[in-house]
Amino acid sequence: MLVSIHLYQIVIIIISSVMIFHGTANFFKHKDNQTILKLAVRIIIWGGMVTVAVFPNFTNFLAKLIGIQDNINAVILTGFLLVFLLIFKLLSAIERLEQQVTIITRQESLKDIETNK
Amino acid sequence: MWIVLPAYNEEKIIHEVLREIQSAGYNNIIVVDDGSSDQTFEKAKEISGVTVLRHKLNRGKGAATKTGIEAAKKLGAKIIVTMDSDGQHNPADIERLVHPIENSHCEVVLGTRLLNPKGMPWQKILANKIGNLITWYFYGLYVTDSQSGFRAYSRHAVELINTKTDRYEYDSEVIREIYQYKLKYTEIPIEVRYTEYSMGKIQKQGFINGLKTIYKIIWNIIS
Repeated sequence: MLVSIHLYQIVIIIISSVMIFHGTANFFKHKDNQTILKLAVRIIIWGGMVTVAVFPNFTNFLAKLIGIQDNINAVILTGFLLVFLLIFKLLSAIERLEQQVTIITRQESLKDIETNK
Repeated sequence: MWIVLPAYNEEKIIHEVLREIQSAGYNNIIVVDDGSSDQTFEKAKEISGVTVLRHKLNRGKGAATKTGIEAAKKLGAKIIVTMDSDGQHNPADIERLVHPIENSHCEVVLGTRLLNPKGMPWQKILANKIGNLITWYFYGLYVTDSQSGFRAYSRHAVELINTKTDRYEYDSEVIREIYQYKLKYTEIPIEVRYTEYSMGKIQKQGFINGLKTIYKIIWNIIS
């Protein structure tokens, strides 16, 4: 039996694998306060995307469940996933920048203590 | 023992608050002006014997508190007390707060407004209860006042506690650290003075900031 794989499936599998790999690596390195809960959420979200990409029929079950049945769903879902990915990365970047600004601000304010010691 | 006060736009009351703490017999005080747009920094500087630091940018209560704690560590503090700078906390409670640490019973003492909520507005009680439940759900430890800023820490505790959040979610994050490092803690009822001034501040920090705090707690878990 010939199984056809579409480009979007490969892209989603690659992105999801990278995200899950990063989360797992961070968890085992105890980096960025990566807890088991954070890892679980990450696996559920990105694992869910892989499930939908690899087993498109799963969306039929999902469509039946929520009561909408239309091919356009696939387009909307893909768009939604891309936007979600973008927002996720942007918010992560902003959060990282915020933390760096705080560290610099703190170091600057603690200079007085260092000089008076 | 060092007392840390994060302060943001408190020029009207900072003199009074610092003098009251000094009158209660505590002279090791650190004020962290969190990028105020008013004269808080200059007013605090006018009080002799107080160490005043300044964040050039407003980074939030959590960030300012952490800066104060870092400063206290550099100054060799063995016990660190954090309290709000709007006058709602009574310096007379400091002695009871540090007592369990001095006697080596505990590593962290949490001042709690909800063991004796006399005079506390019902909206504030409700908001605190919701905050406690959210903190318990996401961070695993139920305390009676997860949002109180009046706390005492041993040196050992502040060496372990490593917070990353900058704003009001900081108070909940400390609870997570207590749970994570299995630090011995206790809760002590504190008096809270709901003056017209402090109530004005509380209203400003109200509902929207509450939602932001919840969002930040959830974001820190999923990101």
